[in-house]
Amino acid sequence: MALDRISLQAHAGEFLCIVGPSGSGKSTLLRVLAGLHRQSAGDVHIQADRPGTPLTAMVFQEHALLPWRTVRDNVTFGLENRGVGRAEREARAREMLAMVGLARFAQHYPHQLSGGMKQRVGIARALANDPEVLLMDEPLAALDAQTRTIMQEELLRIWATLGKTVVYVTHSLEEALLLGDRVVLLTARPGRVSQIYPVDLGRPRALEVRASPAYGALLEKIWSRLREEVVRAMEADRGVDPEAIGG
Amino acid sequence: MGVAVPTAVLVLWEIFSRLGIVSPRYFPAPTTVAWTLADRLVAGDLAGDLLVTLTRLALAFALAALPAVPLGLLMGIARPVRDLVEPYLAFVFPVPKITLLPFLLIILGVGEPAFVLTGASSAFFQIVISTLAGVQTMDPRLVEVGRNYGAHGPRLFWKVILPAALPAIFTGLRLGLGLSLVTLVAVEFVAAKSGLGHLVYRHWQMLSTPEMYAAFALVGALGLVLTRGLRALQARVLTWQEDIGV
Amino acid sequence: MRAVGRWLGERWITIGSPLTVLVLWEWASATGLLRAVFFPRPSTIAGHLRDLAMDGTLWGHAATTLVRIGWSFSLAAILGVAIGLAMGLWRRLREGLDPVFAVIYPIPSVLFLPLVSFLVPPGEIALVVTTAVTSFFLIAFTTTHGVRQIDRLVVEAARHYGARGWRLFAAVLLPGALPFIFTGLRLGLGFALIVVVAVEIVSASRGLGALLWLSWQVLKVEDMYATFFVIALLGALLSYGLAALRARLLPWVPDAGDR
Repeated sequence: MALDRISLQAHAGEFLCIVGPSGSGKSTLLRVLAGLHRQSAGDVHIQADRPGTPLTAMVFQEHALLPWRTVRDNVTFGLENRGVGRAEREARAREMLAMVGLARFAQHYPHQLSGGMKQRVGIARALANDPEVLLMDEPLAALDAQTRTIMQEELLRIWATLGKTVVYVTHSLEEALLLGDRVVLLTARPGRVSQIYPVDLGRPRALEVRASPAYGALLEKIWSRLREEVVRAMEADRGVDPEAIGG
Repeated sequence: MGVAVPTAVLVLWEIFSRLGIVSPRYFPAPTTVAWTLADRLVAGDLAGDLLVTLTRLALAFALAALPAVPLGLLMGIARPVRDLVEPYLAFVFPVPKITLLPFLLIILGVGEPAFVLTGASSAFFQIVISTLAGVQTMDPRLVEVGRNYGAHGPRLFWKVILPAALPAIFTGLRLGLGLSLVTLVAVEFVAAKSGLGHLVYRHWQMLSTPEMYAAFALVGALGLVLTRGLRALQARVLTWQEDIGV
Repeated sequence: MRAVGRWLGERWITIGSPLTVLVLWEWASATGLLRAVFFPRPSTIAGHLRDLAMDGTLWGHAATTLVRIGWSFSLAAILGVAIGLAMGLWRRLREGLDPVFAVIYPIPSVLFLPLVSFLVPPGEIALVVTTAVTSFFLIAFTTTHGVRQIDRLVVEAARHYGARGWRLFAAVLLPGALPFIFTGLRLGLGFALIVVVAVEIVSASRGLGALLWLSWQVLKVEDMYATFFVIALLGALLSYGLAALRARLLPWVPDAGDR
């Protein structure tokens, strides 16, 4: 069992970050929300304000673009499956590609793009779908440190423009504090909600926030709790027969 | 599940043949073929022809592999050698090797050397090309690591390049053995007076179908044992290799 | 002009070595160092090739072979892609057919000729069906593998964005398998040439394989060499032509040899 008795509520327009030790079921939680994984018990409620639009759209960790489609056709993929007309699809793709700064790359194939650019396409694909809730599964984890910093600022800008509800899974506490309105800390296996921390660092937020004393204090506070969980998870692993893990 | 479909096919064939729904003259019942196979293996002529084919195969494979692996490696590490040999490789590789048979027949005369060399040629080209590809597609960082940690010249070859190319060499040997079996059986079918390929041909001409199918099944079994056995051997010997592929 | 010069500079060995061999062969054969009965002079072979082309013999045999390859390949491609896709999509079918294929595949295709000649009218149809056997297996195998190797995350993402049923197949599974299908078709076409020549050597009276074999039986050595040259040329055209076509048709596949 990856998750146990999770109860969570995200407010409309909120940027909710989920952190936790490896194996706490962060990604599973997101996949349950996306409907990719059936939970054994419990419900997911997403209030739909605009009927006809999808409830969720996911940005995958390894971008998961279709290699045989151009950047533009990847962005329009969800709309195409919903039967949206060509003119509207393409207008929407243009808009979203402009928003993520890839307007010039509409006709490129994914293999011609850098890692950061591919993930921008993944974000544009999710946004083009215009979901109630945007789900992001460690979207920047595979990027190098500099690209990640640039993408974090981009995400803040896009979120401020569109005002979407975002559920964002990350293993980086710093990233959660920079982006989130609230940080949900999960426990080690099985994942439960350990604590929810409001992030009162003001908006709009930029990278400079990391220099403020309030940021440092909050980071310290959550980190000491996260550290306990990580140590607990490692001790639990040590108790297990190493042969059994590989199976 | 694994044996369900083959079993079903054989059972249906048996019933259809016994009931005469398909002509038992052309499609004798599998049990009849099995009896013929067992009988002829013991009585000797089938066992003898199997031995002939196996001997030709072993000779052809050895004649191909011994020069092909060194040549492929040499082409991989020495650019001029590759430039020198590549045009002939590109010209002959896509050609069916059985076309070499008439040339070898006029040069060497009708007989074993021509048969075996034709079989060897199809393995030879495959092994050279696989070996060369193994050296060419190896991770260039491995050579850098080797140099950086003090492996030069022959040491670099024995400790880094050869192990890196080994999976591809093994794959080449495996494919080469399969190809020379295919070519040899075809050669026996058209030109030889012995061997499993010739048996299929002779019993086809005489319309002694149980014997024909028995020889046919033996060739299939031989191919299966060779391909499966070598794959298992490769997985066993090259334990660090992740995926053997086709 | 300079580009040509640089190209020559890099590839002079590759171009020079066959030319040198041809010149040496011509000389050795003319002086009797090589027995001209077995190794006729290249210029003599070229003359025979021209004669065969001029009197139409060559074109007739080549056309027969090409038509046979066309039929065999079409048969193998249609059945191979269809069954390969079905095996890739349905596990039960794959598990059922795998052992059958494993037993039949390593059998040399020429041996199927007697069997096929019992099943279908002997002659042209039996020849075409026999030639199709090996290509069919190759195409079916690679197609199955092509469906199976598609990144599961990509399929999951496509489902998440609403692709189901036919759309999932047409937009994700088929294009995902396409590079492998193409490799299978390329291998299948190559093997169709190999097998058709072998089958023609065994049993036909027309076609390039038959021409080669008949030339041997009447000891027209120059015609043997000329025919061999044409078969090799055909093989090269098929394999390199298809590689170029693939780069054209599948632009999303980064350049990589799949030998």
